[in-house]
Parts: sequence; structure tokens; C-alpha cells
Amino acid sequence: MRRAFPYLLLPHLWSSRNRARRREPGDLVRAALFGGVGLVVFAALFWGAFWLTWQLSDYDELGDYLLRLGLSWLFLTFLAFLTFSGIVTALSTFFLSEDLRLLLTAPVAARRLFYARFARTVAQSSWMVVVFLAPALMGVGVARCAPASFYLSAVMAIVPFAVIPVAIGTACTLLLVNVFPARRARDLLMLMGLLFAGSIVILLRVIRPEQLLGAESLPDVTGFFSTLQSPVTPLLPSFWAGELLFASLKGSWDVVHAGALWTTALAFSVALRAADERWHFSGYSRSQEAPKARFTRFRSLDVIAGMLPLSAVRRQLLVKDLKIFLRDVSQWSQLLLLLALVLIYLYNFRVLDLQRIPYMSGFIKNIYAFVNLGMAGFVMATVAVRFVFPAVSAEGAAFWIIRTSPISLRDFLWSKFWTGLVPILVLTESLTIAANELLGVDPFLKIVSACAIVFLSFALVGLATGLGARYPRFTAENPSQVAGSYGGVAFMIVAVMLIIVMIVLIGWPSTTYLIYQLRRMPLGPVREGMMAVSFLVAAVISVATWLIGMRSGVRALDAMSN
Amino acid sequence: MLGEPLTPLDSARDKPMIAIHDLVKQYGAFTAVDGISLDVKPGEIHGFLGPNGAGKTTTLRMIAGLLKPTSGRVEVNGHDVATEPELAKASLGFIPDRPFIYEKLTAGEFLRFHAGLYGMDGNGLVAGRVHEMLDLFELRRWEDELVESFSHGMKQRLVMCAAFLHRPQAVAVDEPMVGLDPRGARLIKDVFRRMSGHGVAILMSTHTLEVAQEMCHRISIILKGKIIAQGTVDDVRRMAGGGDDHLTSVFLKLTGGSALQEIDEVV
Repeated sequence: MRRAFPYLLLPHLWSSRNRARRREPGDLVRAALFGGVGLVVFAALFWGAFWLTWQLSDYDELGDYLLRLGLSWLFLTFLAFLTFSGIVTALSTFFLSEDLRLLLTAPVAARRLFYARFARTVAQSSWMVVVFLAPALMGVGVARCAPASFYLSAVMAIVPFAVIPVAIGTACTLLLVNVFPARRARDLLMLMGLLFAGSIVILLRVIRPEQLLGAESLPDVTGFFSTLQSPVTPLLPSFWAGELLFASLKGSWDVVHAGALWTTALAFSVALRAADERWHFSGYSRSQEAPKARFTRFRSLDVIAGMLPLSAVRRQLLVKDLKIFLRDVSQWSQLLLLLALVLIYLYNFRVLDLQRIPYMSGFIKNIYAFVNLGMAGFVMATVAVRFVFPAVSAEGAAFWIIRTSPISLRDFLWSKFWTGLVPILVLTESLTIAANELLGVDPFLKIVSACAIVFLSFALVGLATGLGARYPRFTAENPSQVAGSYGGVAFMIVAVMLIIVMIVLIGWPSTTYLIYQLRRMPLGPVREGMMAVSFLVAAVISVATWLIGMRSGVRALDAMSN
Repeated sequence: MLGEPLTPLDSARDKPMIAIHDLVKQYGAFTAVDGISLDVKPGEIHGFLGPNGAGKTTTLRMIAGLLKPTSGRVEVNGHDVATEPELAKASLGFIPDRPFIYEKLTAGEFLRFHAGLYGMDGNGLVAGRVHEMLDLFELRRWEDELVESFSHGMKQRLVMCAAFLHRPQAVAVDEPMVGLDPRGARLIKDVFRRMSGHGVAILMSTHTLEVAQEMCHRISIILKGKIIAQGTVDDVRRMAGGGDDHLTSVFLKLTGGSALQEIDEVV
């Protein structure tokens, strides 16, 4: 008897059950952490949607209009996200997944395999959207005292709404993989992701949301929303989902749009299945071909490394890390994306008319330098958890080479530290100096911020390197998995706490200095002493975090051979 | 009977269980498999030999339906792998060089899932067969342990359990002895002999020439994607003009292993 396609999903369910039964150390802490963060986000989304809908109900018809537009806009955003997510997920589930090597040698009908893979692709691509939409729609429903049918409509809308863009994304992947080898297609997708994110950023700049900061009148807000409408909008599933929900919010059933959603989802699934049966195997077969390596004749890296005052061991480790980084598009494309976001952040300071915004003028804008410092610290922590924390784990199955080489693990870890420190320091220091320059903060604060970034860089990179060695995941498939592990989350928590402590320790003496300067009053020796102690404590905490983090990492590596 | 001698092949007139016709596989401008043809009859153990990168694994992956040939045809039990993949795969047991096993499943769960993939039904029947295979490959006491805790050799044996679970009529196996201890290797050899005795066709790629010499009815030597010698071990010896040479010497003569003489100079 041939079993239905859900049978092919069983190993994943059994695996999850087994994982839950056989807990590993730290699993409970991790579950509590993620669960806690999830609950806070859920509550925030619910409350935000509730508050906004509640406020809009004061404006009668205009409020209804805005709510309707808002729902449509919300779904439109997710439509783009789901399509892109579908492309990326389908590449993995349909072509690169390891278990395909087992399933494709079994007498499994192409149709069954397609349905199982597509179900997995839809689930993996859309769970985040569902998690976001559930509290948001609940908030809207509760604020409008919606009937129970609203929640049923929400389910009826979300399921086909998720299927349609994921089917489109999967079809794009099928096409891409048949044109390029899958591993090269993955590189292309990463670049497409960059373009996608870049275009969203440019779109945001074009519609200039900062106009809303003027908050002269509500009609401006409706004008702003109307720029998001176009003649094609009613043809999109996002519009149908928005209309269906809005109608059910009012207690009626929008059969036309519900029908449009379901029939389109069904038609897309059937068409995709036909295309998959025709082209999947040829695409999978192409995906077995290895891509041509990049930078194989990239000698300048060796030449530059040769000029650095490093020992042969450290030089080779550096060159190896850099080459691996450069050959993996999924690595550096994320860094480029972050860089683009940072540039937009800085660009905002240029385009914003700071004098028009009450909080950004006069003395208060100096305070903003600390927000900036926090932002730079957060960028630093994010880059560190994504690129520095997984550095030891990235050695993966090849770590035996390091462990059996005549080099000390201390040397190895410090090499990882310096490789991470230099780019992070340059990035965040440039960000801070440029932002403070554009804001026009006090010269004293500029110097304090610049010095704080140096200390913070050493502390966070040292901590990330050390914790990365303490909690390595050598079997992880990619660095993102390592960053999302228990150690990665622990690093982010400690990093955020450290940033807050640093801002407090630096903020108090800095603002004291500025206030006394504004009032043209002398500081006095006691106050000066207290300020110096505060700065000193910040410096000591940074250096201690750096050194203790590294020492703990070296010890953990040494302990591996015990 | 462990270590029983190889049964002479008496099925020369039978229809081949695995048949490859003019198979070609190109990766861009590189031709990995270049027009090879071979067949494996019921009860035959066919050794597929060749140096690294000669095209053995690519050929086996095309037989298993993991790679699409650029041209040519593969048939298993009379079914074309390209046009009747389900029927062809239902007759085949494939043991890859780098097998995939769900690490978070237990050995028993993995085998039961595998049985379902091949349409085996009935709880009692499947459970009985699973236990039979686990006993045969000495893994019964690990039935409820997660695969992630298995050694390489144990995983290899588990994959063999899975490959033989549905009583395939043909087996394609890539480097079966890698990572096995002498006891495990002996067990596998014995299992292959018995299966061959029951009429199962086995196509086995290997680097272990002693194994090929000891077990195979016929061998094919592949070099740079082409089969350069095919026949019984004696036939191949004659082709190489080697008299009573050991298969290793014959293999090195045919595949250009004379470079080995330079080892002394390098070392």
C-alpha cells in the first residue's frame, strides 16, 4: 500500500518528539528565554494593534477607511516577504535538503514527494508571518468587539494567502535551479535578497515617512496611505485577504474575495505540481554539480597578509578565514545588507530637518548621541553574534586540523578575535563618528563616544569569541544556526546588558559635564573625581569582559581534549 | 556459513537485473561518465573498480535515480529508471558512500519509516522484518537508540539494514567496506554472498581489490569515465597480460598506477 504524502513528513515529527523527550543541557533555559521573548513580542503586537484600532474607531468612516487600508497594506508587506521566503525555503526543501538523497532513491511518486515538500515549504516560509499576524489580528478583533466569525475568517484568509506567494516563490526556484546549478542559485538568491531589502529601503525613502513627523493634520496621513495604492492592488491576494477580514469585522461574509483566495491557491498548487513533476528531477540533478569556486586566483589577499606583522600560523589562519568568508555569498551579503541599513540610518540624519523636530534641537540633541552609541553598540552586538560568535563553530568537522596542529588553542582563539575586531571596530567607529558629525553634537561627546566604541568593541568581540568557543556547534549547517543557539542568545543578553551599563556609566559624567558647561559653572574637584571614577569603571568593565571572555574561551577549548 | 566460497554464476542466460546502455554524464564541459554499458545478471556480484574520480559514484547515483544521465539508459529489473522510476526503485536497494540517516530518529523508527517508503505494510510484518534485519546486522540492542549516537560502522550497517529491508532484487552499493571493522566487513561479505545465492544482482563499487577478487563473479574497471576492462578476474588478468598477477598489479597496470614508482623519490 502506498501511503499518502503526510507520511513523508513523519521523520520530522518523530525527530521533534525525540528531541523534546531527550533534553540536552541548556534546553530548558533556552526554551524559557525564547518563550519569554515570544510572549513579550506577542503581547506587544496585540497591544499595538489593539491601541491603534481603538484610536481609529474615534474617526468613524475615516477610521474604517484607514483600518481597511492598513489591513490591505499589512498583507501586501507579507505578500512580498512570503514570496521571497518561498524562493529561499524551496531551494532548501526541494533541492538542497540532505534527506532528498534518501527519498529520491525510494519508490516514492513524484506527486507525493511534491505535496510533502510543498507543505513543508509553506510551513517553514510562513510560520513567522502567522506568528506575527495572530496577535495583530486578535488585537484588531478585540478592539472592534468582532464576532467569532472574524477569527474563523482570519484562518480562512491566512491559509490560502500563505500558499499563493509561496507557490510563486517555489516556481521561481524551480526555474532558477533549472537554469543555474542550485548551489549557484543560492548565491543568486542571496543577492536577490539584498536587492529586495534595498528596494524596500529605497521605497521607504521615496515615500518619505518623515513627513508624518510634522503631524500637521490627519489628511496628510490618508494622503500618505493613498500613495501606497495603485490600479493593480485589487488584483493582489493581499487586497482580497484585507477585504475578507474587514467584511467579517463588520459581521458579514465576503464570499467573492474568499473564493478568489481559495481558487487561486488551489490553481497555483496544481500548476506548480505539474511544473514540479516535469522539471524537479532535472533541477535536482543539476544541483549536485559543485559551483566553481571564487577567488581561487585571488593572490592579493596572501600578499596583503604577508605584509602584516603576524606569525606564519596567524597569517595562514587569517588568510583561510578571509577566503572562506569571501567565497560564501550568504556570509558577506548579510554584511552588505547591514551596511546598507547603517547608511540609510545615517542618511536619515541628513534628510531630517532636525530643527523642526522638538526633541532634536538644542541641548537635548546631545543626549541623542547616547541613543547613537546604543545603536552602534547594538549593531556591534548583532555583527558579533552573527560573524564572530560562530567563528570557532565554523571550523566544523575540520577542527581536528587545528587540534592536531602544533599550535596552541590560545593562538587560534586570539587569531579569531583579531580577525573579528578590526572590521567591527572600523564599522562601528565610522558609524558613530559620522552620526555624531551629522547631528552636530558637542565635541566632548564626540571624543567620549569614539573612545567608548573602542572599549565596547574589545569587550563585545572578546565576549563573542570566548562564548563562541565555550558553546560551539560544530555540526551546525550554517552560522545563523550557531548564532541562534543557546550560547548565541546568552551572548546577546549579556551584550545588551553591557551596552546599557556602559551608556549609564558614560552618560552620567558626560551629561554632568555638559550641564555645567551650559550653565558656565565650574565642576569642582569632587565632581571631577566622581566623573573620572565613572569613566574608569566603564573602562575596567570593558577590559574585564574582554579578557575574561577570551580566557574562558581558551579554557573551554583546552578542556575539549580532556 | 561464514566465509563460504563464491557460488559459480549459473545464470548467464537470464535477463540482466541491472542494465546500463551507453550512459553519459557531463558536468558542463567535463565528462564524468563517457558512454559506459554493463549489465548485472540475477545472482551475480559485479565489481565496479576504478581510481578516485573515475566515475564510479556518478554511475551508481544514476542507477539509483539521484542523477539524470546526459544520455543513455539505465534499467533495473526491466524498468527504465527515467520513465518508470517507481517500479525500478522498488526493485533496487541502494547503499551510498555517504548515506543520509535522520539523526534524531532511533534505528527502529528509521527502519519502519524506510519500510513505509517501499510500501511495506502490516505492523507485525514490518516489525518482524525490522527485527530480522537488526539481528542480522547485530544492531538489535540499539533499536531504540538515536542514530546520532551511532559510530560510523554502526550507521553503515543500519543503512544496509534499510537497503535490504524490502528484499530488493538488485543492489547497488558504493564502497561497502569503508569504516567497517574486520568483523563487520566479514558479515557484509557473507550477506552479499547469501543474497547472490538467492538470485539478487549486486553491483558493488570498491577500492578494496582483495574484496573484488574474493567476491565478484565479474568486474568492470572504469577509468576517466570509460570502461577499460570487463569480464571475470581471469579475463581482466589476461587483458592486462599479467598471467597470475594479483588483481592489485593488474589494476595498477590498467589504470596507470606506475606513478607509484615515484613515491620513493618524493618521500
